[in-house]
Amino acid sequence: MTATQTRLDHQPARTRRAAPNSRDRSAGRSKASTIITTGILVVVALYFLVPVYWVVLAATKTTEDLFASNGFWFGSSFNLWTNVVQVLTYDGGVFVRWFANSVLYAGVGAVGATYFAAAGGYALAKYEFRGRNAIFGTVLGGVLVPGTAIALPLFLLFSQLGLANTYWSVLLPSLVSPFGLFLCRIYASASMDTSLMEAARLDGASELRIFHTLGLKILTPALVTVFLFQLVSIWNNYFLPLVMLADSSLYPITLGLNNWSSQVERLPEFYELTTGGVLLSVIPLGIAMIVLQRFWRGGLTEGAVK
Amino acid sequence: MTAPVSRRQLLGYGLGAAVMASIAGCASPGSTAVNAAPTIPPAGGKVTLTYWSWLKNLQKVADIWNAKNPNVQVETVWIPASNDGGYQKLFSALAAHSGPDLAQIEMRKLPAFILVNGLVDLSRYGADDHAGRYDPTLWNQVSYNGGVFGIPQDSGPVGFFYQDELLEQVGAEPPETWDDWAALAGELRRAKAYLDCFPLSDPSIFTAYATQSGATWLKTHDDGWSIDMTGDATMRVARFFDNAIKKDLVTTAYEPFSPAWFSAAANGKLASITSASWADALIKGVSGAKGKWRVADMPRWGNAGYGSTYMGGSTAAVLANSQHPHEALQFATWMTTSQEGINTLIEHCGIGWSPCPDIIGESRKGPSEFFSGQSYNEEVFAPAVKQQNPDWTWGPLTQQTFNILSDQFRKQASGGTLVDAVARAEGEIMTAFRQKGLSIRKADHS
Amino acid sequence: MTKHLKYTPWVLMAPFLALFLLTFILPILAAVGSSFTKVRREGLFGEEGIVSEFAWFENYAQALADGGFIASIGRMVLFGLVQVPVMMLLATVLAILLESASARWPGFFRAAYFLPYGIPGVIATILWSFLYVPGLSPIIDAAAVVGIELNFLGPSTVLWSIANIVTWTYTGYNMMIIIAQLKSIPGELYEAARVDGASGWQVAWKIQLPLIRPALVLTTVFSIIGTMQLFAEPQVLSTSSTAIDSQYTPNLSAYTTAFAYNAYNAAAAQAVLIALAAFILSFAFLRLTNRKSV
Repeated sequence: MTATQTRLDHQPARTRRAAPNSRDRSAGRSKASTIITTGILVVVALYFLVPVYWVVLAATKTTEDLFASNGFWFGSSFNLWTNVVQVLTYDGGVFVRWFANSVLYAGVGAVGATYFAAAGGYALAKYEFRGRNAIFGTVLGGVLVPGTAIALPLFLLFSQLGLANTYWSVLLPSLVSPFGLFLCRIYASASMDTSLMEAARLDGASELRIFHTLGLKILTPALVTVFLFQLVSIWNNYFLPLVMLADSSLYPITLGLNNWSSQVERLPEFYELTTGGVLLSVIPLGIAMIVLQRFWRGGLTEGAVK
Repeated sequence: MTAPVSRRQLLGYGLGAAVMASIAGCASPGSTAVNAAPTIPPAGGKVTLTYWSWLKNLQKVADIWNAKNPNVQVETVWIPASNDGGYQKLFSALAAHSGPDLAQIEMRKLPAFILVNGLVDLSRYGADDHAGRYDPTLWNQVSYNGGVFGIPQDSGPVGFFYQDELLEQVGAEPPETWDDWAALAGELRRAKAYLDCFPLSDPSIFTAYATQSGATWLKTHDDGWSIDMTGDATMRVARFFDNAIKKDLVTTAYEPFSPAWFSAAANGKLASITSASWADALIKGVSGAKGKWRVADMPRWGNAGYGSTYMGGSTAAVLANSQHPHEALQFATWMTTSQEGINTLIEHCGIGWSPCPDIIGESRKGPSEFFSGQSYNEEVFAPAVKQQNPDWTWGPLTQQTFNILSDQFRKQASGGTLVDAVARAEGEIMTAFRQKGLSIRKADHS
Repeated sequence: MTKHLKYTPWVLMAPFLALFLLTFILPILAAVGSSFTKVRREGLFGEEGIVSEFAWFENYAQALADGGFIASIGRMVLFGLVQVPVMMLLATVLAILLESASARWPGFFRAAYFLPYGIPGVIATILWSFLYVPGLSPIIDAAAVVGIELNFLGPSTVLWSIANIVTWTYTGYNMMIIIAQLKSIPGELYEAARVDGASGWQVAWKIQLPLIRPALVLTTVFSIIGTMQLFAEPQVLSTSSTAIDSQYTPNLSAYTTAFAYNAYNAAAAQAVLIALAAFILSFAFLRLTNRKSV
């Protein structure tokens, strides 16, 4: 880990010098190479988009059509609207509830985790105190421990505390991002001038105030990265809620949809629910990814993950 | 400068205490003894029970009850079947001190739930009063230590399903004994068909054969469990199928009801299957099978053992965290012993054989168009229920036992024998029991 | 001021540390503790008393003697040796192509490749399973037309079907990190290369690859950790493939041991071993890449 860490420390200096996207980056280019390159990119794009294309079509079909018609084209009926309504109303609108749960877990978790990681990383970078390196080293170790290896003992612990099978059982672990703290520390020590803090102190600002005004502002690019990283990883989490939650009304969308899809063998009508549900959950995510990838790139380039 | 030191010490103590607490606490979740606590009296007002089950459309059955019992409303929640995720959910809910009032649990899985103090002993709520209405063999399988831990919900008496035409081709009748069965299998091999398959990855049917042959693998004693998997009854079955596999009388190439099985059955390459009553619905899935299949009694092991056996079967069990065990028991007994309960369970949920010998269900009476006009339920399965091994007891590690057995069975492919596999599995199962902190010994042969 | 400075960092770190203690340190200690514990039960089910005892390394010995668990670790090592390099190669090539001036519509392609990252592994697996299951899959139908019989879910193929899902999900993410690093390469370096008459290949090989090494190292370490925790994909796919048993991956095995066998102590030992394996593999990789760079 130390290797990455020292490299990371060097990074921002070089980053700041980086020219914003010079047009002529490649030495040799020609019409032929444009065609070949773009051709490769198109083929790869097909690979990434085909499953999504398939589910868009599948969501327009009845279960009967799903098996009878060609998977890469529309079926004999256009059932999209019925399927969507069915998804949204089935079992008293439980799909909407799952979606809201996911938004809650990911939203609150990501905001909280980012704030706590920022405060911790800032403290580790900007203050000298005993045990600083020990803490940083321990947290860094936390980055390397697989989350799922922790989920199991965490469940046992939470079940003793009476927290298992509650919103807290998924929210509390989501509020911690060792990776986020790591990024924030690196970023804070590289890009935040201590003399600014001194100036603020002379103005009579309290330490916490300095962090909340000055610190958070300067850390913003890193915070965006941490937030997005945590948002996606909570949204995608499956093992933790699976282990923690028994009550389906607390499920996030991952667990809920899997619950539907595991019923298709017994009850084929769940095919319509599953394909429709997958489509409905992929659309907002797809849009989010397309919008967010800009910020993501921004956060990464200006700051941290190197 | 004393502050940091003492703070660190404090932190150290705190951490140490927390560690000790968590180690002690995490040793075995769900170790509160629900059946030592005082019983919960019947509720005064309206209660709502939840029932987790993998039966489809179970709510339709519950709705009939709900209409008549405004004070005890039952809500059903679908969970994945048994080991496909259902039990995991139940165990995890129990460890978190929550979970439904009622859950569908297979007969063979009940003891695993008792092991974690997950089930209410229903004898404390008067379950024994209902014992007379249930098949005594099944009642025995839900009774441990003088308690009753689940209400039998369905079962699977075993019979011999066969394709009439294929047997007639070799001029044969359904076999009466397993020796007849082997002779018939040999004749069918000359006609390029198999009589049956033998699954190596699911030991359920092997266990059912052993049970029929008179085996009782596990027995309970005052001082713990005893095991006997290498007695004559089991070895007879192991040797028989070792021989059948060696002589290519059965195929191990596919499992019952796998896609390959369906295609072999449809193409006349597979003449029969010895399976439980609930296999009738699966056989109806064989394409073009209508009118071709019949059902006969299971072949017997000569003069030894029993006329039939059982495979599958589940209970409605009341979970430890239920606040309304009284009402839950009422619903469970209504569902499994009333005419309308049994009839609607069959109609909506396609449930297995009724645990109530007096009521097999209206739709299971009379001739079946699919099975060549035979009244197979009344002719074969209703009598089969009365000819089962009454002494069988399931142990708390059935799933592990089955996994160990199937791991050993798979060595068949590389030249092992079932006889060896069973003997080795017995040793491994004893180890697994001890790892659970249970005491087990080899039964003395007498 | 000194007094301020002494307490401020602790105040700032308090929420993080409290949560870190609760959700990382305590569970890890609890796991280690319970992995060294065993229970003894009196009576048939422990109804006459349950005693916890110190077990030494019994649970670990049990996990290491469990053929299914060891096989699952071996399977993940094989998976990692194949899937991680393939994915990293793909991500690197795509990043370099997208950053080369030859690429048209780089914004569109970047978004298309990145899209799957936002789709949870479970949902991605449900999606792909439709393309794997005979009868539903247009791919199998299409292959059958030209006489090829595809089986994505058989014992020898299903591991690679899972690898495909993982690659599909994470390639775009890794590509984005590499692109970020590529963008930080100073323009002067390219200028210099052009003056020297370097070809596109040479630029990629001599300038870009060495400079994106840190990003590659970091993403590879994350991929190794990710491989060790593979769970959702095989678990979801197991409903449509009989080739996936309850111990297909180390995590699945720990989950089964805990919640199907109810052997929490043995499961804790497995969880500790999984964490150790991820640790050792990540460190081994870092050491390896470090030594090369010296």
